Amino acid sequence: MKFAVKALSSGKARAGVVHLGSCPSPIETPCLLLSTRKGLPIFISPDLLSSLPSPDSNLLQFSPLHFSEGPSPKTISSIGGLHQMVGLHEYGFAAVARDSIQCLPECGSTNKTGASFETPCGRRLIKPVEYMEMITSMKPNLWATLADEVPAWANNKRNKTSVDRTVKWLDECIARSP
Amino acid sequence: MALRFEVLGRFNRARAAQLTLPHFACQTPLFMPVGTQGTIKGLTTDQLEEIGCQIILGNTYHLALRPTSELIDELGGLHKFMNWPRALLTDSGGFQMVSLLHLADITEKGVTFQSPVDGKPMLLTPEESIQIQNRIGADIIMALDDVVRTTITGPRIEEAMYRTLRWVDRCIAAHKRPHEQNLFGIVQGGLDPVLRDICVRGLVDRNLPGYAIGGLAGGEDKDSFWRVVAQCTAALPEDKPRYVMGVGYPLDIVVCSALGADMYDCVYPTRTARFGTALVPEGVLKLKHNAMVNDTRPIDPTCACMVCKNYTRAYIHCLVTKDAMGSQLLSYHNLYYMLQLSRNLHSSIVEGRFPECYIIPDSNLCASRNSNVVRFLWQFPKGDVPEWVCNAMDVAGIDISSCCSS
Repeated sequence: MKFAVKALSSGKARAGVVHLGSCPSPIETPCLLLSTRKGLPIFISPDLLSSLPSPDSNLLQFSPLHFSEGPSPKTISSIGGLHQMVGLHEYGFAAVARDSIQCLPECGSTNKTGASFETPCGRRLIKPVEYMEMITSMKPNLWATLADEVPAWANNKRNKTSVDRTVKWLDECIARSP
Repeated sequence: MALRFEVLGRFNRARAAQLTLPHFACQTPLFMPVGTQGTIKGLTTDQLEEIGCQIILGNTYHLALRPTSELIDELGGLHKFMNWPRALLTDSGGFQMVSLLHLADITEKGVTFQSPVDGKPMLLTPEESIQIQNRIGADIIMALDDVVRTTITGPRIEEAMYRTLRWVDRCIAAHKRPHEQNLFGIVQGGLDPVLRDICVRGLVDRNLPGYAIGGLAGGEDKDSFWRVVAQCTAALPEDKPRYVMGVGYPLDIVVCSALGADMYDCVYPTRTARFGTALVPEGVLKLKHNAMVNDTRPIDPTCACMVCKNYTRAYIHCLVTKDAMGSQLLSYHNLYYMLQLSRNLHSSIVEGRFPECYIIPDSNLCASRNSNVVRFLWQFPKGDVPEWVCNAMDVAGIDISSCCSS
């Protein structure tokens, strides 16, 4: 992946461009990632997706936790990764453990071993090693580390714990990075 | 009359034809997906065109309720409203009335029922049905018939058959757009060959653009079903299209085509998709089954549709019954399957290879000619072909004994 800033405003705003291996054209930033459910935008199959403006619609966000009930990381690997599994070979995927709709961080249940999420399959605790197993099998273009996400009103102690855990998990994720 | 029907090829009773309608030149045999509310659930009109859909069926009853035929007319007709450039067919509204409304009552005037919107008593007459269909603007419209389930016996069937003939005259008189819309009559008469014969002759006398065989696909046994189709196709005019309403399963379509029918409609492919079931040459594939969890094969390796080219059974399994995309992808595949079936039926009859490709598996002829040929009797690998299929194919003059173990 390559990212370059092309222009700066008089303040902090900047215009840039992202080059991803799987996308044939570079993508301008700021850009909107399309949110997905199990790798596909809701109601929009790949043949319909191609009618959206390109390359602006070529970057998709997904949560590996959408696949908690299957297919297994082993099966996803044998298919060849997420791009192959959902038939979007020329698109870019960014993996983030949480989404705002169906994989909501449960900071009350997160502990030192892993992050907890409310998912449609119930509450799930994900450890860095499991998270990285998913990332390795899915092969997204970009991925965010597993984090201990807390709301803005968390107290100081909980806030500090979340930062320490997140940095620790970042190191563990990087160590297992494909 | 606003259609042309030209037979391009035959095999015994089976025929392949070009049916030219105001909005589209179709090839028969053909399957019509059902777009109840002016849409096929899960697919856009672009996708329907892409997979080769020729005619879509719209339900007059549902459209008259929402958004009303007056609004559709005001907005330029259903083609424009749903952005579908090809052909449309609307049914009369009678069937839904009888099947959906518990308090529907049929009299000589028409079908009286309670409006599902406000409970007011309402009456659907033959005249009103045609007026609604005139406003909707489909290429083919259906006469209001007195539909009786084939599982019922007694004088009601005879009453319904004669009433259907009287109503068709009222439909013809009420039809304001005969040069743009084709009014099809519907043969009724239950399972009684005498009544069916009277009805066929009565409708043929009216010289309509096309004819439907109604009152089937409602729970009668298969042996009775094929006999009614065989009798009607033998008696209906050669040079006009024949539409078997509410059919159906792929096997039923192959058998009815062998007997000389041309057009079919059914909710089965899309409805079964929403329950996680895919149509495949071997029968059906239930994507919900645990066996699919890690199966990396496509739904059907012989299918060229977008779903089979891009997706594994494992992925579809994780979607079905949990995410709308599962229904969408399965609906897409199932409709592609039915439309490909229609195309194969048409081309195999035109090219003179109908029996080889459809009936006899393991034929080298099939393998070399067309990789998408659907070999129907693969559903019965042990040779346990149902007796009704054997009997029907016998009448159709097609020898399937090599596929039957008994």
